[in-house]
Amino acid sequence: MKSPLKKRVPRELLAEWKKYFALFAIMTVTIGFVSGMLVANNSMEKSCNDGFEKYNIEDSHFILKEEASDKLIDAIEDEGVTVYKQYYKQVKERQIDKPKAEKSEVRVFKLRDKINKSSLLKGEYPSTKDEIVIDRMHADNVGIKIGDTIKVDGAKMRVTGFIALPDYSALYEDNSEIVFNAISFDVALVTNAGFNNLKGATVYEYAFDYDETPIDKADKKEKSDDFVERLYKLSATGGDEDNPDFENMNEVTGYLPEYLNQGIHFAIDDFGNDKALGETLLIVLIAVISFIFAITESNTIVKEASVIGTLRASGYTKGELLRHYMSMPIIVTLLAAIVGNALGYTFFKNSVVDMYYNSYSLATYETLWNSDAFIKTTVYPVLIVLIINSLVISSKLQFSPLKFLRRDLTKTKRSKAIRLPRWKFFKRFRLRILMQNISGYFTLFLGICFVMILLNFAVGLPATLDNYKSHAKEYMLSDYQYVLKNTLDKNGDDITTDESSAEKYSSRVLLTIDGPHVDEEITAYGFNKNSKYIDLTYNVKSNEVWVSEGYAKKFSLNKGDTITLKENYTNDTYDFVVKDIYNQPGIMAIFMPNNHFNKTFDYENDHFTGFLSNNKLDDIDEDYILSIITGDDILKMVNQLDHSMGSYMDYFGYACIVLAVLLMLLLTKIIIEKNTVSISMLKVLGYFSAEINSLYIRLTTIVVVISALIATYVSDLALQQLWRHVLNRLNGWFEFYVEWKDYGRMVIMVIIAYLVVLVLDMRRIRRIPMTEALKSVE
Amino acid sequence: MPENFLEVKDIFKAYGSGDSKQEVLKGTDFTVTKGEFCVLLGPSGSGKSTLLNIIGGIDNADSGYISIDGEKLEDMNEKALTNYRRKHLGYVFQLYNLIPNLNVKENIEVGAYLSDNPLEIDDLLNTLGLYEHRYKLPNQLSGGQQQRTSIGRAIVKNPNILLCDEPTGALDYNTSKEILGLIENVNQRYGNTIIMVTHNEAISHMADHTIKLRDGVVRKNIINENKISAAELDW
Repeated sequence: MKSPLKKRVPRELLAEWKKYFALFAIMTVTIGFVSGMLVANNSMEKSCNDGFEKYNIEDSHFILKEEASDKLIDAIEDEGVTVYKQYYKQVKERQIDKPKAEKSEVRVFKLRDKINKSSLLKGEYPSTKDEIVIDRMHADNVGIKIGDTIKVDGAKMRVTGFIALPDYSALYEDNSEIVFNAISFDVALVTNAGFNNLKGATVYEYAFDYDETPIDKADKKEKSDDFVERLYKLSATGGDEDNPDFENMNEVTGYLPEYLNQGIHFAIDDFGNDKALGETLLIVLIAVISFIFAITESNTIVKEASVIGTLRASGYTKGELLRHYMSMPIIVTLLAAIVGNALGYTFFKNSVVDMYYNSYSLATYETLWNSDAFIKTTVYPVLIVLIINSLVISSKLQFSPLKFLRRDLTKTKRSKAIRLPRWKFFKRFRLRILMQNISGYFTLFLGICFVMILLNFAVGLPATLDNYKSHAKEYMLSDYQYVLKNTLDKNGDDITTDESSAEKYSSRVLLTIDGPHVDEEITAYGFNKNSKYIDLTYNVKSNEVWVSEGYAKKFSLNKGDTITLKENYTNDTYDFVVKDIYNQPGIMAIFMPNNHFNKTFDYENDHFTGFLSNNKLDDIDEDYILSIITGDDILKMVNQLDHSMGSYMDYFGYACIVLAVLLMLLLTKIIIEKNTVSISMLKVLGYFSAEINSLYIRLTTIVVVISALIATYVSDLALQQLWRHVLNRLNGWFEFYVEWKDYGRMVIMVIIAYLVVLVLDMRRIRRIPMTEALKSVE
Repeated sequence: MPENFLEVKDIFKAYGSGDSKQEVLKGTDFTVTKGEFCVLLGPSGSGKSTLLNIIGGIDNADSGYISIDGEKLEDMNEKALTNYRRKHLGYVFQLYNLIPNLNVKENIEVGAYLSDNPLEIDDLLNTLGLYEHRYKLPNQLSGGQQQRTSIGRAIVKNPNILLCDEPTGALDYNTSKEILGLIENVNQRYGNTIIMVTHNEAISHMADHTIKLRDGVVRKNIINENKISAAELDW
């Protein structure tokens, strides 16, 4: 015979439908979102990984200063690789009918058919020299449509389609940038004739595949390190190390292995990180909800103590009662998992996909059934609820039948209650209520911490971006930083400028070999004595350097530490001792006097890389300039982040407030329910509502306000760690910055959510009938 | 002629509606004088507890009225009713209804807080025999101690009327007599009007006035000329 207790379950669900519906709603939305994220991420990850074969994604690419001779290519291919030309021209892109639209740079390639093959998402490939296909993501961002005519390097071209390139799934103009840029950077394909028609300079990029595919990441790195060293030597000798061929000599100006290429890997890594974050959020939230269930069931057990005592005395086992009291949390969790997964595969999956397509240039994907998503969003929540509730409920059911009959469910038999100081009666009363409901209030604190972490992200990310925007120019060494292609002009003389604010500097890109992010690009700067832009003393020991604040923070460097950096293309390493931290939070750099710089890197005494200047240098021929870095370049990163995530943050903040209301409402409801008889008794005795509110509501208000303040600190710690974790897999550093007023906003948002709860709780207390106290008599 | 302090006039009260409607009080009438110890006696279902709750202002009559010292409860709004309970009433229940997270002294303070001129709590604790238990929580007390605490909470504000709903219903014989003795003592010492609901006929012998209820109607209204002390009770 089935346990007759089962008949209580649907009745209990109906009787307490508001509470169970709120728990169900929170779990359904969370499970749905995480399930949708896991399904979308796995499907898209699979699509990206399949793309390595489908689109023949390169193993690496390198850039040479000049077009490589056949001899050099042959010599390089003898190193066990197959080389493919992937030349491009980086030119200006303008929308003809939108003069005020964002100015963009477009990297134009010839149509690809061998390596890094494109995926045509819409329209058709170009067939004439006046036609072009561009990146879908960029087109969406700037509002270009198929059929539009745009100006590319001054030439009018008709957009015939939108594409996704597998080596630009995240549109990184430069791999060392913190964030990709799909707003002012674009990639495009044109016909051979179209390519030749563009006036811009050709960049000689070569992609290659290893003849023997590396077996894993370690193998990739080993092969890459060996190859780049050979490439460097072969290029410098024109392909013949024994008999250098000066006619075919070349110079490697760029090298990027596939495993470090953010254009290929950023999106895939992001899927993985988002999955981990989503799973963590799900587990934490389900744990909080499990405690809410556990407290609810514990209270029910206390309320039904005499019934339980009777059942136990009649022969019901502890196990039977445990299963009975566990059934409600498990049923609600299972229902939430089923509905959540159904929503996850439909509504939420599409929302997550839209979110990714709003950030990345991804090829098409196919939704895949995902057993992992099902297990993580169904089995895990049920298990968490099962474990936490079975522990709490079985501990509550451990008393003897007699103790249940006597309603004596206290574990510790103190001879006296805890003495309280001689405070006013109400103060002591409140403290007693707090002590009696400590588990409920602690769960309330945990819930507020959880919400506050989410709120901190919602408020902190826009605040961080705003802060970065307002300080971006200060993060520059000077307003303009000129990098020259060559420091000699066509007559063989040093390039000079008449601009009085200009100052020569030296720089060289090195890589980290250890710490939180291996292969992070660190720029070594050499500065002049009495430099206007780098305010540091010239008298230091030969191996001493200053490290920028950004580098020091990311790698936890202190004065006196020794750091080792390696060359970009060889395995040569350099050891430096940190003399001090230089106040430059936005860049990853080390600084040393020019004479040390030249000695360290074996340069002539008059070596320099370019100019630092606070004014534009109009007297340097453009042909000599490799790049000009300005504050606007730094802002590109922030604008992209703002575009990708900033717009969601307001909605996310509102969602946090709704979640806060639901969680607090549930927890305060449990606390009030537990004290219903006492509240009713106070009413019978003649206490006014204001006095009862002052006891119960004011206490909860105090707990909420204190919890919100502590949770602000907890959320800050959590976010700082999370931010560090995210930044550690990217190049560069900027701090997660939240101002006091933003912390204030977070606390106010929680308090606003609580005000809603407070009104409902006051109504709930007002509705407690005086007959509640009499029920216990019967 | 003693003054009528409490007047219960033609009280009707029913629960439910239609076929399930159950009439609990069917025109109950009686009066109680100031300082009187009145027992409402009746079997289970006679309506005595319902009547006590209506007198206590925590339930409403369908018709009829209750008048205390000339003031009708039906004329009072919720705030006035709360004030009435606050200033004039003390409640003692069968199962004590102490606040579980407050100790003995604090539970009595719950009552003291409501009065502008409460009794001295430590004196009262001594009178109740609870002084040495004053820091214990309710679940650390025996039934008799809990009921004494409950009486302490009720009388600390020195109410005009003490309403007792089966105060010995959950206690053994000796403890019951001890509690009845305490209530008798309170009545004599502070002069409160006491209305006690009970189904134990023996208790009526210690009362000044006994009202016997059955099926929601007053069957007997007896003024006890030869009342005995609680200590002399036997059942």
